[in-house]
Amino acid sequence: MNQRENITKKIKEPVLIIAISILLCFLLWSLVPQFFTSCDDHTRYKPYLYPSFLHPLGTDDIGHDILSLVIYSARISLIIAFTAGGLSIIIGVSIGIISGFFPGIIDDILMGLTDIVLIIPKIPVIILLAAITRPDLMLLILVLGLFYWETTARVVRSRVMQVSGAGYIQSARCLGFSSGWIMIHEILPVIYPVVLPKLMLVVAGASISEASLSFLGLSDPTMNSWGKMIADAFTHGGFIRGMWWWYTPPALCIVLMILSCVRIGMIWEQTGTETAFE
Amino acid sequence: MPEQTALLSWIIRKAIRYLISGFIVLVIVFLVPRLMPGDPVRNLVGEDVWLSPATLQALRSEMGLDLPLNEQFIHYLLDLFSLNLGYSYHLNGPVLNILLGRIPWTLLLIGTSILAGACFGVIAGALTGWNPERWWARTLTGSSLLISSIPPYILGLAFLACFSFYLHLFPIKGLYDTPDIFSIIYHLTLPVLVLTLFYASRNLLIMRGSVISERGLLYPQCARALGIPRQIILKRHVAKNALLPVLTLIALDFGFLFSGALFIEIVFSLQGMGSLIYDAILLRDIPVLTGSFLVISVFVILANLSVDLISVLIDPRVRMGRE
Repeated sequence: MNQRENITKKIKEPVLIIAISILLCFLLWSLVPQFFTSCDDHTRYKPYLYPSFLHPLGTDDIGHDILSLVIYSARISLIIAFTAGGLSIIIGVSIGIISGFFPGIIDDILMGLTDIVLIIPKIPVIILLAAITRPDLMLLILVLGLFYWETTARVVRSRVMQVSGAGYIQSARCLGFSSGWIMIHEILPVIYPVVLPKLMLVVAGASISEASLSFLGLSDPTMNSWGKMIADAFTHGGFIRGMWWWYTPPALCIVLMILSCVRIGMIWEQTGTETAFE
Repeated sequence: MPEQTALLSWIIRKAIRYLISGFIVLVIVFLVPRLMPGDPVRNLVGEDVWLSPATLQALRSEMGLDLPLNEQFIHYLLDLFSLNLGYSYHLNGPVLNILLGRIPWTLLLIGTSILAGACFGVIAGALTGWNPERWWARTLTGSSLLISSIPPYILGLAFLACFSFYLHLFPIKGLYDTPDIFSIIYHLTLPVLVLTLFYASRNLLIMRGSVISERGLLYPQCARALGIPRQIILKRHVAKNALLPVLTLIALDFGFLFSGALFIEIVFSLQGMGSLIYDAILLRDIPVLTGSFLVISVFVILANLSVDLISVLIDPRVRMGRE
């Protein structure tokens, strides 16, 4: 398997370069937003201004500069997507490894738990929780992270079950290494090709969920995210006034971010299909 | 017989999982309004209604909220068995009746879209998976990937902006102007189109992947070696085997029937379950929220159950206990 060569070859594809540079651009926006715009996200100008030289995308209903809002919102959208995605991957990978490494009763219990999380409808639960408690950034991250690990756990488990019979793991056992050591040093390094695409997919899923919840008015009202901008444009008259320069840029940012994550996740996809006669 | 014992243990293990999930859903619905910060009576009635302390007390004992939690839970279960989902003080009616009034519209909107999306997605997915290198297959796959990466409400907003707002081809909002069939079709075309695109693109991607992995196996090659035309191999042999993952996806779509339409109904201002939930969120109408959540969960659990049953009935590998 020359997977590393395969990946370096794929990274040179133009679509992939675009995807990575989009994510890097969003990352820069979230780190140093003041370098990209002359206005900031809390100074109030005249509301409902049309695009002009001073405000390239006009202003919204309370007079915030829309271009600055788009750039400053990258921070919250990225924080939510990547921390929720990371949290769910950590949970999913640990449960998957433990469950795949200890067949029997532990595997049964953990997979039962996974099935139960899989069955429970997630978006309705999140809506119910967020509607009743005060919407809050930490709560959103926690709930998204705690709900989206089940497919990761399944994928990791089946991969671990494939490798745990392999010779090098048997010999590590015979040499007397503890199960924990084997799981971290021997199994974790070989399962990353299934974990990394999952991470990108979960990040994409988390940003879809975040955008959707913000649209319902269930995100933190003090934090600006792209989803919240679209919701504001929809409920505060941007839509009915035909101000497409208000709701199109954040929508475009969300879609670009999801597409880049999905595209980057495809790097590790196996390209060679099975042939019947080898 | 080993096959039957394997099947039996499989059924028992699945049944335990469904019972626990159902129980967790019940506990969430029961605990959320009672353990949230604030007075549970206030949470159930709504915060913007003014009540005198005497009325508050009367309501509390009438709803049984002064009893210990375990007794409340038994009362709550008994209420559920008599199909009493609570009373919405905002909409002034029993939650069950409110839900029953909204469900048919959502069923019409989503049911049509799921069926249309399933037909188109399966057929187009089978063809693109069978000829993945053709230009039309590449175009279809790319656009499906694009559509399924867009949050549904953004797609809905884009369609609403283009076709209703700028081109004036379709109405901006509502289910009908006059309650006749043509007006309803005219109003539902655009939302059904958006949802169909969304469902079709996901089904297409799954079906395509499934057909591609089946195509590389031994039996289609053998069939080709026997001189069977490619289209017949696809229709008679490959499509059947590739269908299983798509069938489970479609069954799950039916499970998410009522929550799937949430955003589309809000965007197009259709009076179904979705806009009911949205209004309940804005008004903090807890009985409607918990009631809708219960209905959604029951459907999702039933859908999962039917997925398991479908896979047992169709796929002998599952029946042997080899998942």
